Amino acid sequence: MRALPSRPAVAASLALLLALPAASAAAAPDPPRRSYYVYACAESEDEVAVVRYGPGGLEVVKTVSVGSYPAETEGPHGIGIAPDGRHWYVSIAHGLPFGSVHKYETGTDRWLGDATVGMYPATLDVAASTRLLYVANFDLHGRLEPGSISVVETETMTEVARIPSGIRPHGGRLARDETRFYAVNVMGFELVEADALGFEVSRRLSLGAGVQPAWVTRPTRAGRVYVTGGNVARLFEVDLESWRVVRTFETGPGPYNAAVTPDESTLVVTYRQGGAVGFWDLETGRERARVATTRAIPHGVVTTPDGAYAFVTVEGVGGEPGTVEVYDIAAAERRGAVDIGKQASGIAFWKVEEQASAP
Amino acid sequence: MQTNRFVWLVLVAVCVAVCVPLVAQDREEPPGGLVIEVEPAELTLAVGGTRRLAATVRRADGTVVDDARVVFYSRARRSVSVTRRGDVEAHRPGEFTLVALVPASSGAAGRRPDSIARAEVAVTVPHPPVERVRFTAVPPKFYVGTHPRLAVEVVDASGALRHDVAVEYASADAAVASIDRHGFLSLSRPGRVELSVRAEDASDRLAVEVEASPVTSLVLQASADSARTGDVVVFSAVARDARGLAVRGVPVQYAVAGETSPSIIAAGAAALVTSEGRFVAERSGTYTVVATSGAHSARRTVEVRRRDVRREVEVVGRGRVLDRHTSDLWIWEAADGRDYAMTGTWGSDGSTYIWDVTDPSDIRKVREIQVDARTVNDVKVSEGGDIAVISREGASDRRNGIVILGVGNPREGVPVLAEYTDMLTGGVHNLFIAEDHVFALSAGRRYDVIDIEDPANPRRVGRFELDTPNHSVHDVWVSDGVAFSSNWTDGVVAVDVGGGGRGGTPARPVELGRYAYPSGWNHAAFPYRSASTGKLYVFAGDESFAPQGQLHSQQDAIPTQAAGWVHVIDWTDWERPREVARYQVPEAGSHNLWVEDDTLYVGYYNGGLRVVDVSGELLGDLYRQGREIARFLPFDPDGFIANAPFVWGPQPFKGHVFFSDWNTGLWALRLLPRTRPGPIVGEPQ
Repeated sequence: MRALPSRPAVAASLALLLALPAASAAAAPDPPRRSYYVYACAESEDEVAVVRYGPGGLEVVKTVSVGSYPAETEGPHGIGIAPDGRHWYVSIAHGLPFGSVHKYETGTDRWLGDATVGMYPATLDVAASTRLLYVANFDLHGRLEPGSISVVETETMTEVARIPSGIRPHGGRLARDETRFYAVNVMGFELVEADALGFEVSRRLSLGAGVQPAWVTRPTRAGRVYVTGGNVARLFEVDLESWRVVRTFETGPGPYNAAVTPDESTLVVTYRQGGAVGFWDLETGRERARVATTRAIPHGVVTTPDGAYAFVTVEGVGGEPGTVEVYDIAAAERRGAVDIGKQASGIAFWKVEEQASAP
Repeated sequence: MQTNRFVWLVLVAVCVAVCVPLVAQDREEPPGGLVIEVEPAELTLAVGGTRRLAATVRRADGTVVDDARVVFYSRARRSVSVTRRGDVEAHRPGEFTLVALVPASSGAAGRRPDSIARAEVAVTVPHPPVERVRFTAVPPKFYVGTHPRLAVEVVDASGALRHDVAVEYASADAAVASIDRHGFLSLSRPGRVELSVRAEDASDRLAVEVEASPVTSLVLQASADSARTGDVVVFSAVARDARGLAVRGVPVQYAVAGETSPSIIAAGAAALVTSEGRFVAERSGTYTVVATSGAHSARRTVEVRRRDVRREVEVVGRGRVLDRHTSDLWIWEAADGRDYAMTGTWGSDGSTYIWDVTDPSDIRKVREIQVDARTVNDVKVSEGGDIAVISREGASDRRNGIVILGVGNPREGVPVLAEYTDMLTGGVHNLFIAEDHVFALSAGRRYDVIDIEDPANPRRVGRFELDTPNHSVHDVWVSDGVAFSSNWTDGVVAVDVGGGGRGGTPARPVELGRYAYPSGWNHAAFPYRSASTGKLYVFAGDESFAPQGQLHSQQDAIPTQAAGWVHVIDWTDWERPREVARYQVPEAGSHNLWVEDDTLYVGYYNGGLRVVDVSGELLGDLYRQGREIARFLPFDPDGFIANAPFVWGPQPFKGHVFFSDWNTGLWALRLLPRTRPGPIVGEPQ
């Protein structure tokens, strides 16, 4: 794997640049003094890459082969780090027939166990308060039948509950107090709230007929979540207390994944069809910048705990490698791009180190 | 004594000093000093039984926390379930664990220490009591001097057939008949005797009339006096009475003893004879089959010589693919009169290659077709040689499906006639073309039948999906109007799609039968009507790899190791499929296969290409019988993974053997004429 310099935009659909980043014409800024680490999936490579952004720039420090059948593409899709940082979990979409979630130790990347879950497991999240893992069984290619959210006890990697959710559940993030789990039903056109401790859906919120939501962010301290409406080019801001949409933002084509910065000032959004990353000012509700990605089909996004950077995965097409890009959130500028395996998808932040070193 | 006591005290002190902190460290720190107590702490429930758990959460000072949220769950919820209120219900027998926990404080986001109060409740669900036990398959006659075996069936109160229950046999008159713990009778003299069997509190009785044996002689016949290793010789014991008439229903037991050829040292087990008298040898030598019935026995000796079918192979040509993995292949004669090979690519850019193989010594790539995919796992060409269908996985829009190509004249062009993705978006791993229909797998759950009579306008006309829990299909192959799908744990399923005689059509498939084997590795199946015996054999290949989560990959640049073998199923009778033989290369794993002219060709992954003589009746371990005609391991230091044979699939065609290899591409081999005896596994030269 080699680091790529930032390259000119390739997405032909990029027409809008709401605000030119101030530093765009200046010399490339210095890389950070700290080192930030993310884990990123390569869905068509059956691989997970450990990527570091630090004084040495953006680089792949390690790749980990995942799955059980070397001659079958099994599709690692969603990834998450345990709240204590000791383990990472990856959802493997394809199985016989069900998908699975695998547990690894961070740092050593040693495989520790797996649990069979539902069809095409996608996004996952892990609760510190219970050590239970929640994963949305997307069932992307099945008939339009009700799907589910699997609950996995991570110590034993045992599926302990399956919550009936709706048609094609995707996205999925725990509430701040971890008593609720939010997901969207792509073909049910709704946001759902599940009782994460009682293992049942407690509320449903229709986003409008035909609106196919793709993602929901982790709730803010003010009790807001942001839902991407992929097929209608909109973002929905939902107030969890009143359980209604309080703001709607018109976006670029195909808003897909999204992440809120820790200070809750900015929402970073990937535009799957638009080939770009958007930076939304959540106070004004305006997109302050949109930057074309280096390849087509941006997918996942995660922000660093200090709010300085956003890491974005870009799938690419066919034989192209997948890519991890890093953006300076304040400047809304890409700081680097590095290739990983084909069809980069889920991404999770691991750790930050004051000095760069091998993981 | 004093010294010993001192040492003991020191040991205790050390143990206390070391062990107590260890135990303390092992306990979870409760949130805010909370502990959870569950009543009952363990429980035993009958299947269908219920019980409510009561959880009490206490602070460190013992006071009760009234408003604590307790989460209940089961680690085996399909066997014993628990509701959010703690209501437990047992569904299946076994030992299980329920968990009750109080979530840790969920304060600030970010890394938090583990601090969960948790209690585990052991649940025992005993097996239901045995409801009945009964003798089954009782022989029609019992003759003095014979040793028939009695079978029993044990069923519990839930209706489940039980094999884990101890059964006790007894005879009311051991002087007439005794019975051992395996159910074998020893019949000593004529008379009536009552036999009994007990399993827990259930029992059954069987009154048996033991008769004097009318047999005065036993004659052993054999279908041949000499054979080659691997040939099946059928022995038939005929019991006759004093008048020389055949006596039916006399139990006969067969055994074999023998000597391997003098040059074979420490051969191990070298031959077998089945309970029906079918004999096969793995090593050359002289074998004597003994038939026994009561006081009578008969023996017959058969001479077994080496099968000696070994042939050398010659590499005639190659279509090198060294920059990516190669998947499936198909060889055909096109409408332009030339011969072509099509190979897919795996984990790459969606390319399919077409090679001119008219002269196998000069293989030339004539076309590269690229579709939106990362893997073209399967390629097939119609019987007429004008239509090809390729499968897609990893399409950028996640709508995979199939692509239909015109391949009547590849040198002139290979037009894309149609793409078809409807209900096939999840990826088409394998497919087959038969009589203007494509049988295409959909997301590993079923196969759809797509009419391509008008290849530019494909339309789905039927589908077949199993109804078993958790079913998964991997492959389908159609022969003479019968589709044979390979379904992992559900094994091979035969379906009439027009030629099975049960009224099936492509639009209305009708299942003919199924055969599963315990490993659950069924990956591919090739039906073949044996030219030499007329039997319908289905060669079912496994696919298996290293333990999950610990695989070798391209990234590691380590050759992949596989496991599994080829199961030979005699499916001459749709109602009675029987696995009769295996072809198993040790330390390697089977993949795709082809059978033609009583010869089996196997892509044996890391075991290379194998060519096997499958003429005659098949019984036992074909690998050890010297049936292997040829083997070839495609090493190439410039391979995508260097020197890592990983043969994907073979196809014999016009006197050559073509195969695709995952790391090196397309190969054409020729089997050389035999000039001298070849080596046989396990036999010296």
